[in-house]
Amino acid sequence: MIFDWLIPSLIATLLVLAAIGALRRVNFWRAGQAEKVDMWAGLLAMPKRYLHDLHHVVERDKYMSRTHVATGGGFVLAMVLVILVHLFDIQSRILAWMLLAALGMMFCGALFVFKRRLNPPSRLSKGPWMRLPKSLLTFAITFFVLTLPAAGILPESLSLSNIGLTLVSLVLALLVLLSLGEMLFGMTWGGPMKHAFAGALHLAFHRRPERFGGGRSTGLKPANLGGESHGVAKPEDFKWNQLLGFDACVQCGRCEAMCPAFAAGQPLNPKKLIQDMVVGLAGGTDEKYAGSPYPNVPVGKASGSPQEIITEGLVSADTLWSCTTCRACVEECPMMIEHVDAIVDMRRFLTLEKGDTPNKGAEVLENIIATDNPNGYAPGSRTHWAADQNLAVMKDVKKAEVLFWVSDGAFDMRSQRILRAFVKLLKAANVNVAILGDEERDSGDVARRLGDDATFQSLAKRNLATLAQYKFSTLVTTDPHAFHCLKNEYADFDQAGALKDVEVLHHTTFLNRLIEQGMLQVDRFKGGKVTYHDPCYLGRYNGEYDSPRALLSSLGIEVAEMERSGYRSRCCGGGGGAPITDIPGERRIADMRMEDVAATGAELVAVGCQQCTAMLEGVVEPRPQVRDIAEIMAEHLVEQLVEHTVEGAA
Amino acid sequence: MSQYDALFEPLNINKLTIRNRIVSTAHAEVYATDGGMTTDRYVKYYEEKAKGGCGLCICGGSSVVSIDSPQSWWSSVNLSTDRIIPHFQNLADAVHKHGGKIMIQITHMGRRSRWDGENWPNLMSPSGIREPVHRATCKTIEVEEIWRVIGDFVQAARRAKEGGLDGVELSAVHQHMIDQFWSPRVNKRTDEWGGTFEGRMKFGMEVLKAVREEVGPDFVVGMRITGDEFHPDGLNHEDMKQIAQYYDATGMVDYFGVVGSGCDTHNTLANVIPNMSYPPEPFLHLAAGIKEVVNVPVIHAQNIKDPNQAKRILEAGYVDFVGMTRAHIADPHFIAKIKMDQVDQIRQCVGANYCIDRQYQGLDVLCVQNTATSREYMGLPHIIEKTTGPIRNVVVVGGGPGGLEAARVAAERGHKVTLIEKAPELGGQISLAAKAPQRDQIAGISRWLIMEVERLGVEVRLDTAADADLIQSLNPEVCVLCTGGRPFLEQNPEWGAEEGLVVSTWDILNGSVEPGKNVLIYDTICEFSGMSAADYLASKGSLVELVTDDIKPGVGIGGTTFPTYYRSLYEKEVIMTSDMLLEKVYREDDKLVAVLENEYTGQQEERVVDQVVVENGTRPNEELYYALKANSVNKGQIDNEALFDIKPQPQLLADKLDGMLLWRLGDCVSQRNIHAAMYDALRLCKDL
Repeated sequence: MIFDWLIPSLIATLLVLAAIGALRRVNFWRAGQAEKVDMWAGLLAMPKRYLHDLHHVVERDKYMSRTHVATGGGFVLAMVLVILVHLFDIQSRILAWMLLAALGMMFCGALFVFKRRLNPPSRLSKGPWMRLPKSLLTFAITFFVLTLPAAGILPESLSLSNIGLTLVSLVLALLVLLSLGEMLFGMTWGGPMKHAFAGALHLAFHRRPERFGGGRSTGLKPANLGGESHGVAKPEDFKWNQLLGFDACVQCGRCEAMCPAFAAGQPLNPKKLIQDMVVGLAGGTDEKYAGSPYPNVPVGKASGSPQEIITEGLVSADTLWSCTTCRACVEECPMMIEHVDAIVDMRRFLTLEKGDTPNKGAEVLENIIATDNPNGYAPGSRTHWAADQNLAVMKDVKKAEVLFWVSDGAFDMRSQRILRAFVKLLKAANVNVAILGDEERDSGDVARRLGDDATFQSLAKRNLATLAQYKFSTLVTTDPHAFHCLKNEYADFDQAGALKDVEVLHHTTFLNRLIEQGMLQVDRFKGGKVTYHDPCYLGRYNGEYDSPRALLSSLGIEVAEMERSGYRSRCCGGGGGAPITDIPGERRIADMRMEDVAATGAELVAVGCQQCTAMLEGVVEPRPQVRDIAEIMAEHLVEQLVEHTVEGAA
Repeated sequence: MSQYDALFEPLNINKLTIRNRIVSTAHAEVYATDGGMTTDRYVKYYEEKAKGGCGLCICGGSSVVSIDSPQSWWSSVNLSTDRIIPHFQNLADAVHKHGGKIMIQITHMGRRSRWDGENWPNLMSPSGIREPVHRATCKTIEVEEIWRVIGDFVQAARRAKEGGLDGVELSAVHQHMIDQFWSPRVNKRTDEWGGTFEGRMKFGMEVLKAVREEVGPDFVVGMRITGDEFHPDGLNHEDMKQIAQYYDATGMVDYFGVVGSGCDTHNTLANVIPNMSYPPEPFLHLAAGIKEVVNVPVIHAQNIKDPNQAKRILEAGYVDFVGMTRAHIADPHFIAKIKMDQVDQIRQCVGANYCIDRQYQGLDVLCVQNTATSREYMGLPHIIEKTTGPIRNVVVVGGGPGGLEAARVAAERGHKVTLIEKAPELGGQISLAAKAPQRDQIAGISRWLIMEVERLGVEVRLDTAADADLIQSLNPEVCVLCTGGRPFLEQNPEWGAEEGLVVSTWDILNGSVEPGKNVLIYDTICEFSGMSAADYLASKGSLVELVTDDIKPGVGIGGTTFPTYYRSLYEKEVIMTSDMLLEKVYREDDKLVAVLENEYTGQQEERVVDQVVVENGTRPNEELYYALKANSVNKGQIDNEALFDIKPQPQLLADKLDGMLLWRLGDCVSQRNIHAAMYDALRLCKDL
């Protein structure tokens, strides 16, 4: 071949450019705030995180998973071998053959990428992403041809005229430039392949390493109170590895497809949000964004930079307040990006610094501060619901096997029915239980999701101080939001260890144990078809999908599952303070969820959350009935009766 | 929480926490039929209220502590024997199970009873003065007897406590023995048990002290008192404040229940349980006056029927607990429905006083519109569950109370129901009854039923006269005829109904006939319709004479309702004439002559009037029934054995009906009343 120097030079140049781009990119991330990460452990763990954890998520889409294994795996292998064979010119037929094989694999994968891009679903971003399959194919073909001589398939010098050879070489060089440019230069200079570079590092330096290896990490990180500012105002206020995480986005739009707010036509699209963060961290505008917009918000008007306030030009506050914190996007993201963390971080700025919580937000926060409950009820009326329940109160008994965390449902007449049903079941099973009574305070869930971490932390600390006074081995609650706070978010403030040896359970888990132990007996359910709605804070946040279903099954109910159930359950619209901030959309999320329910033909939807109950019951009738599992259980409880013998009675 | 927070704020009486502010106050149920024991029926009646969320039930109005205070007349609870204790345990368990609390009123009725039965006792009162309402003569109680009765109170309180009840209420109201001693109207004694204020107070005080000593400091002991006897020679409001303060100062009374009015005359008795002619909470000011001077919670009932009314009273702080006794007879799930956000589904008491008027006749207390009340033990449901069997096509003809109830119950069962009504509106005779002065609230019965059938999706066809062809075209599996009746003016051809000489009370009340100037109403029925027509005509300016062949006009109307009619009729100078038969009506010039004949002497009198109105009941509209009967699977017959046993009609037990099942109920069978029609509708349709 003539121009023997050309291909290696191109490779070398592009590698250098890539390295420069990488440094530039790393500098973007370094603009973020310090966050301690065990770099080496992360890097060492990265391959496994990629192959196992990330693949586990990608695997949900079998087509894409196989395609990516072939394409990505083929590319990584091919790239290493290209460097060895074509840059360092290592003469080895084995290497050459291996390279051919890798390229073959990549080619096959790329064909499927190409095929998918022929008629791509709306969730996929277009623009440069439409070019990528062609680049991949070009890369595979070009290097395949280039490697044929090294593999001994083609002679080193072909019987072509010099002109012909020169022409072929130039064409090949051009193709190398184009395809390798996409793969290497694009990788670090903002092309679609950026995802591989940033994604790999994101996996290595992930802010929640607990998520890898089957773990779960869903509790929000505490805000640092008392500093100069609170929350994230500008992109540079994010932790550096959060910025890195944004860059990992592949714009596959799986988040968008799952986002309830997006579906409801509220101005939120998690993918666009992440892309806007990328715009922010690198500086610029969203002109080039080629995916679905925030519903009813035109693309191209947003701009930002690391030092500019995000909500003043890059992302509207309404976008941030539309989120229900349901984690459907996070659960679905193959790159394990943490959208909810980012949103709450930005909400913290709006609430704590600007006092700009929309609609009822400010009022609710004031209520929580003044009365320890979001609706401002007299704190002394917290236990009114239980006036006829004869429940032991911790203040009197000091210890009990089980502490029933009642939650703010105590103030709500509808939720009280759930509480009473649960108490009925506890009594039937002779559980040694006590409540905190008026000493209980709001868990802080709403305050935290609305960005008021100061109020959350204050509530958490005061609740923990109360809990620390009493002895109990199990804490159980019917409220998944309180459950999540107590189980996952209080630990950051529990220096005294009030919950250290305490098992925190959702009532469905607890009830299922009682059923399994034969402590509760229930009749068979006689009604019609039943479906089950997984509450976000029970399912995705805490992984409890089985106990509610086991309970329903104990009633003889065969759950008619909704298409979106389990980890893919659609939010009711009630989380994250969304009903309070109440950002207008085209539809209500709860209505859509009720349509999911109705599609199963169910007459009854079982839930395990008072908030879900409230949201779903807010859907206008006619619609299926809504019951907490505790209510269904209590209705079917087999009770023991005692009759006093009366004179003359048979 | 909700707009009704004020109702749901728990409050302690002594150490007893009452879960909300709603009380079913003491009333005589007439269910303690087994020698005064709280029967299964009694227990289930109160259990239903507790299940429905009522905070506190005070049961057993006028429950007796002594064997010489007869209980059998009103089947009130008998606390004079230990036999009651296990019965109380069942009662207490049933109520406690649902988080309710239950106490019992205990009393010696003194002269307010009848002596001519049971143990044939000499009735006793402080000064032996006769009681007019019960026509009860009595002896002057002797000191030995006083102390014995005090001892009986103590034993009764012990039995209540041992039976697991939450407290006792000493009745010092309704002219029972304690307030017979209190009232200078009845207590003329000059010994230490009368005369001075302290003397008149002594009996009640000794009872209170002895009972408190027996039950200890924590068991609830309350007192029910009047707020004003409304008798010039009786206790007025200031007297009652003094009395309440006097007893409250002992610290031994845990609450006061306050009732407006005395009740030892027919006229005052009507105040005690105000019927629909009264304004809302007419005597609240009296209870509020007592609350001003005592330090313990005050309970007040009397015409409080609506959750918003209760809330308003509680929020304003007039009293601490609102008694909603009849409200719970009409709907024991009153509280539950508020909590379920189903306030519109509460069946509201209309003050027809069918319950209490039956009680004063010694009959079991029943609700005119809720026929499941106190029949819980028979299996009649307040909450009707959907059928698990086939969904049927049900056609109901007639939109009076019977037809509306049949349609409601069938629709609650989940059937496809069509309701056909000839008139342009639903309600049947209730709509007529509501036209009379002070009777408008009776329309609440149909208002609720109409709201329910609408809610339940019943197809209502108004202005539609049903005939056999129409019914067949609808192809019903079950057809319920509730076509009612029509005024029966033809019984005596001499009345001249055919010539138009007489009109019916319906013609008057529905406005189709203009009121005459000088009107004679001839009423053989002596219930509401004749009195209502008289009241209506008089209020339009007619001169009215109400004539009956019975012993007095309105004699068929109960003790709390005829007085309010009498007040209105006497005030409007309606002449009431008894014992006269209407023999003949004829026209003379532009006048009508009504010929009346005294039943006992045969002597005839004539009245020259402008208009003669006859109330002679109704004859059934049964044409459609006979047109459909032959083609029905059951030939129109209802299996009475199954019906009375609250069992499904036998045809419903088969897998499939081989044709149309035909039932008729209400006045289209024979004239009875609202309750009878609705009871049949419920017990027939609940198993559809």
